[in-house]
Amino acid sequence: MSGRDRERGEVDEGESLLEVRNLCKYFDNDGGLFGGMTLDREFPFVSRNPSTVRAVEDVSFDIKKGETLGLVGESGCGKSTLARTVLRLLDPTSGSVDFKGEDLATISGEPLRRKRQDMQMIFQDPQSSLDPRMKVGPIVEEPMRAHGMLDEEGREARAKELLEKVGLDPQHYNRYPHAFSGGQRQRVNLARALSVNPDFIVCDEPVSALDVSIQAQVLNTMQDLQDEFDLTYLFIAHDLSVIRHISDRVAVMYLGQMVELADKEELFENPQHPYTQALLDAIPVPDPRSGGRTNLLTGDVPSPIDPPSGCRFRTRCPVLIQPDEFDMSDGEWSAVVEFQRAVKRREFETTNRREVRQQYFEEAPTGDAGTLIDDALSHISDEEWAEAEALLTESFADASVCATDEPAYEVSPNLGDGRHYAACHRVRDAAVASGAAADLDAPGSGPVEELGADD
Amino acid sequence: MSEPLLSVDNLKTQFFTEDGTVRAVDGISFDVYEGEIVGLVGESGAGKSVATSSILRLVDSPGEIVGGEITFKGETIFGLEEGDDGEPRPRDDMLSEKEMRRRIRGREIAIIFQDPMESLNPVFTVGGQLREFIEINRDLSGEEAEEEAIDMLREVGIPAPESRYDEYPHQFSGGMRQRVLIAMALACQPDLIIADEPTTALDVTVEGQILEMVTELQEKYDTSFIWVTHDMSVVAEICDRVNVMYLGEIIEHAEVDDLFYETKHPYTQALLDSMPRPDKTVHELDPIKGVMPEAIDPPSGCRFHSRCPHAREVCREVHPEQRDLADEGEPTHSAACVMYDAFEVGYEESRPIETEATGGFSAGLTETGDGE
Repeated sequence: MSGRDRERGEVDEGESLLEVRNLCKYFDNDGGLFGGMTLDREFPFVSRNPSTVRAVEDVSFDIKKGETLGLVGESGCGKSTLARTVLRLLDPTSGSVDFKGEDLATISGEPLRRKRQDMQMIFQDPQSSLDPRMKVGPIVEEPMRAHGMLDEEGREARAKELLEKVGLDPQHYNRYPHAFSGGQRQRVNLARALSVNPDFIVCDEPVSALDVSIQAQVLNTMQDLQDEFDLTYLFIAHDLSVIRHISDRVAVMYLGQMVELADKEELFENPQHPYTQALLDAIPVPDPRSGGRTNLLTGDVPSPIDPPSGCRFRTRCPVLIQPDEFDMSDGEWSAVVEFQRAVKRREFETTNRREVRQQYFEEAPTGDAGTLIDDALSHISDEEWAEAEALLTESFADASVCATDEPAYEVSPNLGDGRHYAACHRVRDAAVASGAAADLDAPGSGPVEELGADD
Repeated sequence: MSEPLLSVDNLKTQFFTEDGTVRAVDGISFDVYEGEIVGLVGESGAGKSVATSSILRLVDSPGEIVGGEITFKGETIFGLEEGDDGEPRPRDDMLSEKEMRRRIRGREIAIIFQDPMESLNPVFTVGGQLREFIEINRDLSGEEAEEEAIDMLREVGIPAPESRYDEYPHQFSGGMRQRVLIAMALACQPDLIIADEPTTALDVTVEGQILEMVTELQEKYDTSFIWVTHDMSVVAEICDRVNVMYLGEIIEHAEVDDLFYETKHPYTQALLDSMPRPDKTVHELDPIKGVMPEAIDPPSGCRFHSRCPHAREVCREVHPEQRDLADEGEPTHSAACVMYDAFEVGYEESRPIETEATGGFSAGLTETGDGE
């Protein structure tokens, strides 16, 4: 591989290969003639309300050379958009993506195309990411041809070598993708990504479509290849078991934002963000004696068109922080939160004041909070749901620090010595850095000094 | 134990294609009793979905049920007898197509499919579809059915059901659509619900919510379930008894605890070993070698022998039938593997064979060539 006609900024092992800073990607719907248009049955029949989907908002992280950064989150949280924006397959709305010291967000055209030789991607669906009318050999050779690597014979030899490396038979150079099983197709994808000898591969749910037994084979192969070719992975998955198996560090996303980032062991054994905890609790364990899942989250992910203020997870958070003006016990506060969410979801039918009180308030709060609850109950018995909802939301949910301030903290890890970022106000007392300093963009950030006692 | 609710005996379903006969389901037998959740586990291509479609007689040409017997509450869903010309023909007591359609499907046995978007009609409202289903199957008037539909939506945890009633499927999230299908399945209070990978397309958090809901509803209505899945964790969580399928056959059957703690069949063991664990860090996964062979040309003898770490000569020759390996007085735990003494085919004396899946055109990583 010496005939390369481009310069490469080399990065040493353990140094940042990729630095993403305050990256945002918005999608709007007001493009085109009918953009943002909605039809109505009443006059004026047509209205225009342009809205913006904030798919990725203010995300910062580093990936060091040779490591695997796992990225988890539920469907729709912006994982894939983030990956595509990092690779400049989508243009970022703002922010920067430094790859080997060059900002990908500002370059375009030929320089960007040449950069792509160092960054490759593997997609989720092994079926649709391979051209069914091309043979496997030419598929693997195509990136090399696009980047002018080697001559015809050299490319064929390298394609065959790579097929063997990923665990296929080089003799299948002349087969079409349909002759391969799902796991084997994903191996072809791997070989294609490797063909231009990249430093960095983004794997977007590469094993989600495969059976467990095949999944294990592909994951093992990916690890072997990482060691052999010195690769850096950004590994996206929604399956935490897979993430735990393959990652060195793990980032958790919720509704377009990163809520926690830490070393793998630290994140799994000492999670700080309630969302991470909820995700971990939700993983099914293949063991009938494990007692099943506990503490399940309720509700659905809110729409990214109009995300909640402050902490985006607060509408589902099981441990929302009580506003300072109240002085309720934990039991009372959680009853209030549960009641507010139930009203919002119209979860119960009855408007009978006593029944509702019995259902939600074993410990009824007194004082200001008690008065507010009483008012809300009166609204409900008058069937004024909207008023009750507004009152409860305004006085309780929106008054919490979780709604007013955007959290960003860094805590000292229990395991290992990596940095541990957690966007949750509950860790504010144990935090060693907060706000912008806790963002992973603190320039020249060395090891963080231990301040504040651990809990 | 009392009479089983559903009993499947030696069921065989085959597809007659240009390339030959695909024996998708090849002689499976299992029972479902009242109020229990029976798991049907296996990788893609094991024949799980064909088996469940066969129970409802939904197999289409070129597929055909060619043998076996399915009994549901004493009625014959499928059964053959020898005709005058020596050819098998449907028995007289077998339910007619009309009876199946009007009485069994939906009313007595409901089914929930994997992809909730494809099971709901995108041009009708969710409430309308649910109402229609209730109206037809329970002979209620339109208004009563609507009330019932809203109640069902609330029961399965749809927020603000009165206003969501008039929304279209695309306005629902994946988890909510699946809830609607569960509401639809439960609406006629069937005795048996077949759930064909209903949570596979969902996130873990939503999957957890749905499984919890199913457990609650199952207790409330005392419905039996056949739960088809490829995910051992889901099995561990909700099933009472489990059947493990490989290439059209059931190779192990046990109560859920026995299956995980006293695993008998090497395939089940391999399946468990190949899963990454969420509760601990595993450095190297132990995958099953190779891929599942085609059902059109299954390996001789034990069908798993080509991928089995314990394969011996005898495995290639003898086709094991499932046998009960449990101790006296213990619940049934059967497996189809000649490794166990109960089979008496001389496994111990037989010579180990090289597993075919380790060489040639396989998915195992070959250790050749080095450098870039």
